Amino acid sequence: MANYFNTLPLREKLNQLGVCDFMDSSEFLDGVSALKGKKLVIVGCGAQGLNQGLNLRDSGLDVSYTLRKEAIEGKRDSWKNATENNFTVGTYEELIPNADVVINLTPDKQHTAVVNAIMPLMKEGATLLYSHGFNIVEEGMQIRKDLTVIMVAPKCPGSEVRAEYVRGFGVPTLIAVHPENDPQGKGLAQAKAYCAGTGGHRAGVLKSSFVAEVKSDLMGEQTILCGLLQTGSILSFDKMVEKGIDAGYASKLVQYGVEVITEALKQGGITAMMDRLSNVAKIKAFEISEELKDIMRPLFQKHQDDIMSGEFSRTMMEDWANGDQNLLKWRAETGETAFEKTPAGDVKIGEQEYFDNYTLMVAFVRAGVELAFETMVQAGIKPESAYYESLHETPLIANTIARKKLFEMNRVISDTAEYGCYLFDQACKPLLGDFIKKVDTDLVGKNFNEGKDGAVDNRQLIEVNEAIRSHQVEQIGATLRKAMTAMKAIKTA
Amino acid sequence: MDKPFVYIQDLNLGYRNKAVLKDLYWEMNIGENYAIGGKSGTGKTSLAKSIAGLVSYQGSIEINFDQLRELPQEVLYVESWYQFKNLEGVANFYYQQRYTSLQANDTLTVHAELVSYGKEKDLQFDQVEPILEALGFATFASSQLIELSSGEHKKLQLVKALWLKPQLLIIDQPYTGLDTASRKNLNILLDQVAEEGVQLILISNDSELPNSIHSFVEIREGKLVEADTLENSTTEIHLREIPEFLKASPLYSSQDIVKMVDVNISYGEKQVLKNINWEIKAGEKWLLQGHNGSGKSTLLSLINGDHPQSYANELYLFGNRRGSGESIWDIKQHIGLISPEFHWYFDTTATVWQSIASGFYDTVGLFQQLPYTKSTQVDELIAYFGLTESKNELLTALPLGKQRLVLLARTIIKNPELLILDEPCQGLDQQQTKHFNQLVDELSSNGMTLIYVGHFESQLPTCIEKRILLEKGGVKVVESLNTEILS
Repeated sequence: MANYFNTLPLREKLNQLGVCDFMDSSEFLDGVSALKGKKLVIVGCGAQGLNQGLNLRDSGLDVSYTLRKEAIEGKRDSWKNATENNFTVGTYEELIPNADVVINLTPDKQHTAVVNAIMPLMKEGATLLYSHGFNIVEEGMQIRKDLTVIMVAPKCPGSEVRAEYVRGFGVPTLIAVHPENDPQGKGLAQAKAYCAGTGGHRAGVLKSSFVAEVKSDLMGEQTILCGLLQTGSILSFDKMVEKGIDAGYASKLVQYGVEVITEALKQGGITAMMDRLSNVAKIKAFEISEELKDIMRPLFQKHQDDIMSGEFSRTMMEDWANGDQNLLKWRAETGETAFEKTPAGDVKIGEQEYFDNYTLMVAFVRAGVELAFETMVQAGIKPESAYYESLHETPLIANTIARKKLFEMNRVISDTAEYGCYLFDQACKPLLGDFIKKVDTDLVGKNFNEGKDGAVDNRQLIEVNEAIRSHQVEQIGATLRKAMTAMKAIKTA
Repeated sequence: MDKPFVYIQDLNLGYRNKAVLKDLYWEMNIGENYAIGGKSGTGKTSLAKSIAGLVSYQGSIEINFDQLRELPQEVLYVESWYQFKNLEGVANFYYQQRYTSLQANDTLTVHAELVSYGKEKDLQFDQVEPILEALGFATFASSQLIELSSGEHKKLQLVKALWLKPQLLIIDQPYTGLDTASRKNLNILLDQVAEEGVQLILISNDSELPNSIHSFVEIREGKLVEADTLENSTTEIHLREIPEFLKASPLYSSQDIVKMVDVNISYGEKQVLKNINWEIKAGEKWLLQGHNGSGKSTLLSLINGDHPQSYANELYLFGNRRGSGESIWDIKQHIGLISPEFHWYFDTTATVWQSIASGFYDTVGLFQQLPYTKSTQVDELIAYFGLTESKNELLTALPLGKQRLVLLARTIIKNPELLILDEPCQGLDQQQTKHFNQLVDELSSNGMTLIYVGHFESQLPTCIEKRILLEKGGVKVVESLNTEILS
């Protein structure tokens, strides 16, 4: 199968990368009616599968689950999840032929096998729904021409998808229709109805394309979301221990700090995050984040280039074919880092202390979010998509680190994200070697304001504030966040 | 002379520029056991948390532990409500969650929780078993924490406290959510540990306290004063006329509100409801009773569209078969519901006004602007409950009793066809309870349908006319009540 994106002429590449429309709530007045009475069959019953299905059924739709024969016969967890919540469960042969919409919620790696197994069973004119575009775009899966292919991707873990729905809200969601597979022109109406069925229409919906979703999603997860958070966390911990800060304290600061810091990011963007620092600390964080951006820019660009050319997915799929040799090796190495092995100490760290004593992470986050956003926009991805895949998701990933450190983050994210994360981390650490040598405990481990009188130069402060506030990610963010204000804070610290 | 066991001088504690405790002075001597009563919002919980060192305060609090007593030199404070976390350390739950089956164990089991507590505090496991028996908790050993009701969580906290036997044990609202038998047994257990040297401070307005409690105090204007008994120490509420918009009769789309035919609910091997048959007609006033864990909440969750297993049962709501294409929001719009669990998991970022307004849309948190008429109704109801001053405060910043009043207001704001009140008065004092039950009587006189869950027969609205009693997941009794007997 050929990489779909690479088969397109430049005009069409740009066209598809540029699909991006933040939808008005009036687009969802029809609710779920486009799917009313239709048979929805979900393939797979993990966290996303089960929770989306519960929401759809509670919205009045007809939902059942299909699993592989072995999963049913072995009464595996996915089978129990579905049957104990009173859903009909059947094999592909039993359920797919009658399905109006087949929803593929299996892991990326299984997509080719799953789609090859279900496609011949699907009835004429049915719809195949994905929540990620990798299979179509990077693997170039060809779908039968009579079938409609759409994507609905809630931008939150499955448990949140359910929690937000039952309280009467939803999670931000991305929808798309594959232009090669929309023979009846019903794709968009069905994607919107599915989105309404999961509650996503209340929290902000972005209309995107398979291409734009994949190219921005891969970029975001490899660089700022997982890659840089991993690199930044490990370097910060090692620096503190090197400088004699108590290891338990260092471990706690790193584990929970990134969550506390990015909660401000979630509420009010880079501006709000930087405003949590004192003026002196803010100017310092600004300066070092500018330096970090200069150092890391070529690496961010390389990642984006490899994603666009298909080089990244080619090498990753080689590793899939190789039994995940690299992935497993790198995963094991991450498990062996000192940060991972040092439990968080039994010390109380106040909310403000996470900012004052961890200025370095604030700088890392600003540098990473802005760089990822800028690089994506330069590559032809629209600012709204770039916002979702950089700033918006950072707090969600930070939350997984707060739960159980990097191991947990890498367990929760997709294999694709995990693979890209390690690639980035390995290249980024040596790149930051000289930078990190200069860093002392005032930036990480101790209160930056200690021993300073807090005085700043007016004009310098004004310039710094201006630079932070006028960045495009802040302007687009202000608009998009308005639609999501009711999202609940996810708190662990 | 011996120093007092607890010695408090010049204790000051404020909340948002409002002084709660003012120059409070208190001596609690060795061997004394106290009950702290008084109306909600006077600072009882703040005082308790100060003594336990859980909040910051000004002034001095000395605890002079008895070095000779073998009991742990510890102050243990048992919260009125207990927040647990899942295995990943997150406390982000929602109240319907325990009805959903999910294979991955998200929270510890009760047994595992107790084992780890015992290890941490160096306790013998065989000593906890009689406590579990006495509180009727032994059967929950294999339950996950998420599956427990609020009353069961309360019991778990009490079990731990009675097992630990700290030198000072402070319990905030010990009886909340406990059934009659458990309350009696709890008092016996408390008397036993008091005998062994545990000193007690109970925050409660209840009249049936353990025999070992001899001293009664309450907080007035920030200071601790003696109270003879707890009977007359409650607040006075002025009865106002109910807002006009609540006097309208509900418009019923069907005379059949609920019909259950042989309803069964089980999780794996465990059956929670067995062959339930129950019919509710428009305008009927029902009392639902049963011991802790008898299946009451599960039964109500079926009616409120909250239970995933509704779809496999023969269940009719408001005239329609469940699972015939309706959404849960279609069902909820007919219903006003309150339960301890609903309160427990309610949005912590909502203000009082938003919390009440969200009742129009059945959402947990307010996600849209209210039209003028609705917004006026919210103001009227807030005034009726005497909450106008707090209307812009965070719900969670209010004392529990007041929070409960706010959520009760939320429950009735849309003048629903069916009112489901699951222990609505938990956490309210006796006057508030009486007042609320009068309100229920008034509201239901317009033809509203009612399901009321209450443990104590003394605190019920007079309009109740039918009763259903659950026992171990089955229907034990369905009967019509002679209203004269009840009143």
